[in-house]
Order: sequence, then structure tokens, then C-alpha cells
Amino acid sequence: MRQLFIDIFFFGDRPHFERIGFLIFIIIVLVFPWMVTSAYGRAVMIKFLLFALFGLGWNLIGGYGGQVDLGQAKNVGFGAYATALMMVWWKTPFWITVIPGIVIAAAESFAVAYPMFRLKGHYFAIATLCVALVWKELFIFWDWTGGARGVEIPIRSGADFVYMQFNSPIYYHYFILFLFLLQFFFVNWFRKSKLGYEVQAVRDNEDAAASLGINVYRTKVINYTIAGGLGALGGSFMAVYYLYIDPDAVMPLDLSILIAMTVMVGGAGSIWGPIIGAAILIPLDMYLGAWLGAQKRLGIDFMIYAMIMMVIAAKEPKGVWGIIERVRKKGAR
Amino acid sequence: MMLEVKNLVKEFGGLVANGDISFELRRGEILGLIGPNGAGKSTLFNCIAGYYKPTGGNILFEGKDITGWPPHQVTREGIARTFQGMKIMPNLTVEENVMIGAFCRTGNRQIARKEAWEILDLMGLTGEAEALPAGLPIAVQKRIELARAIATRPRLLMLDEMAAGLNPLETKEIIQTLQRIKEEKKLTLFLTEHVMEFIMTVSERVIVMAAGKKIAEGSPVEVARQEKVIEAYLGERYAKGR
Ligand SMILES: Nc1ncnc2c1ncn2[C@@H]1O[C@H](COP(=O)(O)OP(=O)(O)O)[C@@H](O)[C@H]1O
Ligand SMILES: [Mg+2]
Repeated sequence: MRQLFIDIFFFGDRPHFERIGFLIFIIIVLVFPWMVTSAYGRAVMIKFLLFALFGLGWNLIGGYGGQVDLGQAKNVGFGAYATALMMVWWKTPFWITVIPGIVIAAAESFAVAYPMFRLKGHYFAIATLCVALVWKELFIFWDWTGGARGVEIPIRSGADFVYMQFNSPIYYHYFILFLFLLQFFFVNWFRKSKLGYEVQAVRDNEDAAASLGINVYRTKVINYTIAGGLGALGGSFMAVYYLYIDPDAVMPLDLSILIAMTVMVGGAGSIWGPIIGAAILIPLDMYLGAWLGAQKRLGIDFMIYAMIMMVIAAKEPKGVWGIIERVRKKGAR
Repeated sequence: MMLEVKNLVKEFGGLVANGDISFELRRGEILGLIGPNGAGKSTLFNCIAGYYKPTGGNILFEGKDITGWPPHQVTREGIARTFQGMKIMPNLTVEENVMIGAFCRTGNRQIARKEAWEILDLMGLTGEAEALPAGLPIAVQKRIELARAIATRPRLLMLDEMAAGLNPLETKEIIQTLQRIKEEKKLTLFLTEHVMEFIMTVSERVIVMAAGKKIAEGSPVEVARQEKVIEAYLGERYAKGR
């Protein structure tokens, strides 16, 4: 019990400066809504935390697992639709809708993982992308999910902790921060668990992993299943934050790519990577969006991301975190 | 009997890499497998360890038929291996590499770590525990692979070209380490080597392969005397010197 607590909440294995950095980060996000009062600034912060959360989930498969998944948006969609539809149909409280969202995303991931992990590398990446696109088309086509019109969640007045609807962004800030921390500590436990190490062993060398008694295929399937389930949590938040969802908002290809890029820019396979990546890309994305206006639709933002991505791939495959570690190691010598 | 290989055949297309190989491995012994490059030694290892599916024949480990089992199951059954040309996990520290081996027998990180450190100590690797393997010398990387394999608690350990890439001093050191862990962990060893010196000093018994066939079996001294062995293999190296 005590050991489990330590594994979840402590970073004893990480160097001192990382623990201090995390503490500073926590203090900043805790006081942020009281320091920044502009609605836009607060919205940027909430989106940052949302994508840091998405990144943490994707990091399991894309970072620790080393499998480039370009379809995480489907899981976000499952979470968002589970929450929105259950609220509309049965007035189900938010915290209950989260569970089927995660279960559906995990179950679907498990089902598609089976054939998909017969593929490797680029073929796997393309397969994940296609599966996500198929789901998006289905949700546009289906009437019972609201089709292309989407789903609107009935609006409630005041602060409602059952349906998690609030009229002040401060509530949403602490709400997403809570979900983020939930996922963060889960990943902190995961990376040190037997499964976490097996996943990393498989990423590094499949033959070596198998020689150590690891069932390579099964490890990949379980990892992809968990990462899928984690994707749904942020989707549920999106439903009650925007109060309106449609397939273009919660399951587009852009979203899958942005989630993957967040982690790759920040540092795949590091617990800090998704946070750093989201801290860079989300403000950039939102301010770029405001600045470019209509041109954003033409994909100028994605051209800029593509350039960042190429620089990262060429200079430092471990992202910004890789650069930080390298600088620190040089300093230590 | 620890391991029985019966009429093992492995073909790649038309190429017969292992043609009708049979031999036995007794508990506690050190069996060497020698033969020139391309003789089929690694293929035989890969068939036993589950990396290749044999075209024909049977492999029995402690009486159990493990023919065609996947590699992770073979390891869990008690056979560990190292790879020719090494397969290290580059993004994980030396400690983590060995810990992952220990996870084969436990789900508990504390136990796995404790076991990893015992083995690191045994292998003289405690100084490198926190390092990433990539920058370390070949001799150290070989020790990491060995440590990792031992961490899975095998009864049979198969080492593919352990001495390749090592200088004579390093070779001597690794032989000493091997003999020590063999005693301590009560292992049975099965080694391949294409360089004679190493295997002839370590092994109690050797099998000689050439062009996919087993051509001789016996004590190192007996085997080295046989005409066909000298012809097929030793010829290049020893015959000239004599
Ligand atoms: N995966 C494979 N596919 C095709 N041919 C292979 C494969 N593995 C080994 N071979 C062939 O089998 C023969 C024996 O190779 P190998 O077992 O590696 O020999 P050794 O380890 O004795 O040097 C060689 O001719 C090699 O080219
Ligand atoms: Mg070989």
C-alpha cells in the first residue's frame, strides 16, 4: 500500500532539478487563474492543460511504446460522445459518463489493435490514421449520434458539479487541472511498473524483449488499449467545456496530429515531454490562430508545425526535453 | 537430460541451414558449438530459442516438447540467450536493462531491482548502473547482455559468439565471470564460437558444424584430431601452422 502510494505520487528516481521544476509548474497552474484575468489567457491555459493531458495518454503508445499512433482523435471522440449523448438521452451525471467513454475507447482500441499490430512502423501509423478517419465518417453518417449536426448539451444555470457546467472559466481551470493530475500520476505509476518497463523494452528492441520473457505482441496490444482509454478522458471534458460537439470538433485528423506533435516536440518517452510540448504548441496554436484569422483555415499553422517537426526530427529526436537533458549532462561534466 | 534436439531441420527457401541435427545436452555441462561462419550455429540457436520455426524435427527441454514455441515462452520455461552482434535496449539504463530481465519472474519492482543489483554486482557492472549502454565499450555491453539473460533465472544459458569483438584479456575475464556464475547459479551452458581458442578451453564437450551439418562431437581434444574437422574447419587456421 505504502509502496503504491510512493510509486504514484513520488519522483524519487528523477533528479532534483526535475522535482523542483515540477513543483514550480504546479504552483504556477494553481495560481494562474488569479494572476491572469483575461478570458483569452485563461482559455489558452485550459487548452494547454487539455493537450498536456492528451499528450500524457498518447505518450504511452507513442513515447514509451515507440509506436507512432496518428488516430488518437477517435478516442477523444468516444469520450466526448459518450458524455454528450448520455447527458442528452438520460441526463447522466458527468462523472458516470466518463466510465463508458473510457471503456468504449479501450474496448475499440483493443479490438483494432489485434489486427493492427501485425503491422510495423509506417504501416501501423497509416492504419491508425485510417481507423480514426473511418470512425469520424461513421459519426457524420449516423443519425443516432446527431450526424454532422453534432450534439448540444442542455445548458444549466450556476455552478453544477453533477454535470460539470460552470459559467466561470476558473472552475473549468481547476476541473481540467484535476483530470490532468489524475492522468499525470497514473502515467507516473505506469512508467515505473512492470508493464511500463516491458513497453519500453519492446520499443527499444523487440528481439531482446522477447528473449527476456516479454510477449511483444500482447504488450503492444495492452499498451495501445490503455492509451486509447486515456484519450477518452479529455474528450469527456471537451463535451462539457464547449457544450457542443460534432465530429469535426472532437475527431478530426488535425487533432490526432496535434496530439502526436505535442509529445514529439516536448520529448517522447519522458513524463515531462507532453507538458513541455503543450506549453509550446498550444499558445503558439491559439495566438497563431488569432493572428492569422481566416488564413489558419488554409493550413498555414500546419505548415509552421511541419517545419518545427522537421527541425526536431533532424536535430533532436527526443524533442525539447532531449535538448534540456543534453545541456544538463554537459554542465555536469 | 536437459536438452534434446532430434533431427532438427531448418530451411530458408532452398538453403538448408540446419540439416538433420541431433544432439543432447546434460544438466550442468558446458557444451560448445563450433563451425566456420555460415555453418548454421546461430540458426540452431534461433530454432531452440523460438526465433525461427524449425522446418522439421523436435526440441525437448527437460523432457517437454518446446518445438515452435514463441521466444518469450521459451525464456519463461528456463532458457535464456544472448545474441550474436548484441541487442541492447539503448534508451534504458544498464540497471533498467537488467531489471527488465528480472521482471520475467516477478511483478514487483523492488524485488526486480534488488535482483538486478545482485547480478550487476556479480558481473562487475555496479559502476555503470546509471549509464546508458550505447556509449559503453563492447566488453561492457556484452556483460550487460549476459547480466540481463541471467536475471531471467534460466537453467540453460545459450551464448552466441560471446568472444566476438573482444581482445584476449577481455575474453579471459569474461570466461572467468562465466565460470563463476555457472557455479553460483547452477547453470548449464551452450556456447557457439567461430574462433577456436575460446571454446576449446571452456567447453567440456563440443559439437562441430559445417555447411548446415553436424560433422563431429566429442571432447575438444578428440574433435580437434578428427580429419574431417580439420578439413572442414580447422584447416584454414591450424593445418597451416603445423
Ligand atoms: N533469416 C534468414 N533468412 C535466410 N537465410 C538465413 C537466415 N538466417 C541464416 N540464414 C542462412 O543460413 C546459413 C547459416 O547461417 P548462421 O546460422 O547465421 O551461421 P553461423 O551462425 O554458423 O555463422 C547462412 O547461409 C545464412 O545466410
Ligand atoms: Mg552466428
